[in-house]
Amino acid sequence: MTQNDNKESQPNISPDAIYNFWTNVMKLPTIGPMYAFSKDFGAYANDYVNLGKVMADLKTHNDNYWALVSAAYAKAARGTAEKAPKQLVTKEDFENYRRAAIEAFEYAFTELFASSEFSVVYGKVFSSQLDFSKALQSIAEKNFKVLNLPARGEIDEMLKDVHELRKSVREMKKEIEGLKNDQARRVAT
Amino acid sequence: MTKQEELQPDQKQEDQKSPPPVQPQHQEQPKVTKEETDRAKEIQELYRKLEKTRSILHTAGDVEVGQTPHEILEETRTYKLLHYQQMVSKTAKTPILVAYALINKSYVLDLQPDKSWVRSLLSQGFDVFLIDWKTPTTADKYASFDDYVNCDMDRCVDIVLKKNKVDQLTLHGYCMGASMSAMYTTLHQEKVRNLAVIAPVVDTEKDTTVIGNIAKHMDVEKMVNIVGNLPAEQLYACYSILKPFKQGVNKYFNLVQNIDNESFVGNFLRIEKWLYDTPPIAGETFKQWIADIYQKNLFVKNELKLGDEVIDLSKIKVPLLNIVADEDHLVSPQCSAPLNDMVSSVDKRLMRFHTGHVGLIASLYSQNNVLPKVGQWLKARSQ
Repeated sequence: MTQNDNKESQPNISPDAIYNFWTNVMKLPTIGPMYAFSKDFGAYANDYVNLGKVMADLKTHNDNYWALVSAAYAKAARGTAEKAPKQLVTKEDFENYRRAAIEAFEYAFTELFASSEFSVVYGKVFSSQLDFSKALQSIAEKNFKVLNLPARGEIDEMLKDVHELRKSVREMKKEIEGLKNDQARRVAT
Repeated sequence: MTKQEELQPDQKQEDQKSPPPVQPQHQEQPKVTKEETDRAKEIQELYRKLEKTRSILHTAGDVEVGQTPHEILEETRTYKLLHYQQMVSKTAKTPILVAYALINKSYVLDLQPDKSWVRSLLSQGFDVFLIDWKTPTTADKYASFDDYVNCDMDRCVDIVLKKNKVDQLTLHGYCMGASMSAMYTTLHQEKVRNLAVIAPVVDTEKDTTVIGNIAKHMDVEKMVNIVGNLPAEQLYACYSILKPFKQGVNKYFNLVQNIDNESFVGNFLRIEKWLYDTPPIAGETFKQWIADIYQKNLFVKNELKLGDEVIDLSKIKVPLLNIVADEDHLVSPQCSAPLNDMVSSVDKRLMRFHTGHVGLIASLYSQNNVLPKVGQWLKARSQ
């Protein structure tokens, strides 16, 4: 086969033709799979961008948390060094070292955990962990839709309804019981 | 050829030629001092104790708790109502309904025969019932204090009253269960003869504990929306920062040291089992507990709402016994004590004991010092 034959067998597709083809595909009615895919793609991209932001926040708060813990550890280690025996030879020396270490660590860490600064930082770490879970849930929920499964929000609505129903049934049962008791009392008198 | 290989052939030849070296008749042993022998023995002993600790901890889950004989009067998906078998002839007319907390399990009140709160009350002639809350599931996310207090507790109270053919009972709560008992009494006082509470959470602004500190900045609304119920792991995290070294670390050193003391080990394992037997807490209830009680302090402001009803502590007029522990690191006594100032009861008493939150209910100290006084107070008001 010659080179000329090869050229003749290839279809003549220009870049303009390719562009026009995809433009026409994108113009298909908005119920088509391409539209749905492109729509989902955007939402997925947003979710992943959000996940990245949440993880960055979580790292910042975790760093602050560990900075406080490290400072408390350093304080406890200093306290231990000051109070513990300098030489560890006898059994009593080891026992005294243990006591001094426990005392110093207990003091330093309890002071940390009871401080308002720790409370704020812990609250932020906890909140970031929740944001992280929420970001993952959001991505998972999109997959649930693909599998035609109910999303978390929908299940929550159902649970709320079930809870309300349960409460109503309880109240009704109580009222019926009260009525029965009244009736029994009336019969007795 | 390496240096070693170079030397080896010569050495072999020399070995063949020369006669074997004469061994000294008495080889000199290195001197072992008494101190070294003692230290070796100590290390051996420590190793034995560590090994025994390891094997005992492997079977820790088998330890028996809640052994006082009882029957289950009613079981629903949220609670079991237990009725304990009488141990002596009943001397108190008014039955006691114990309302346990929604945190951990109720068997801490009947941990072991010689440290059982329930058993002590039975031996003093009381008829004792207990609400044993069951583990909430995802479906209980929306269960609130309104459900626990106005539905479940009220149902249990009705059952006890009907069974004993009386109009009123003594409501006896511990920790969160104490706060719930106070809530119940404000709304259904006609069914309560006495209110006896142990370490109730009331004025959280005065709470100085680590738990109270952490609760202040917890975004509990977000937690319930995202996670649902409070996961047990979150509770473990809270426990781990309460006396982290004195109790968290030191207790294991003490266990190894006392591993041959059967009674010590049994007690340790039971407490340990209870400590880590932590069910989740229903989301809506936890939200109220943290946001309304710890963050906004609504309970003491008389603004806490259960359903449509406001909890007004000043409505309580029944005799009140408030038992607090000076060393309580979960609910500080300053947080519990104000209940006595809030209620309108004429007959009210605050008992303070020099012990901790668990020591108050499950210790020999409690059996010898707390329970006789509590029993005396209750008996005088149960005829």
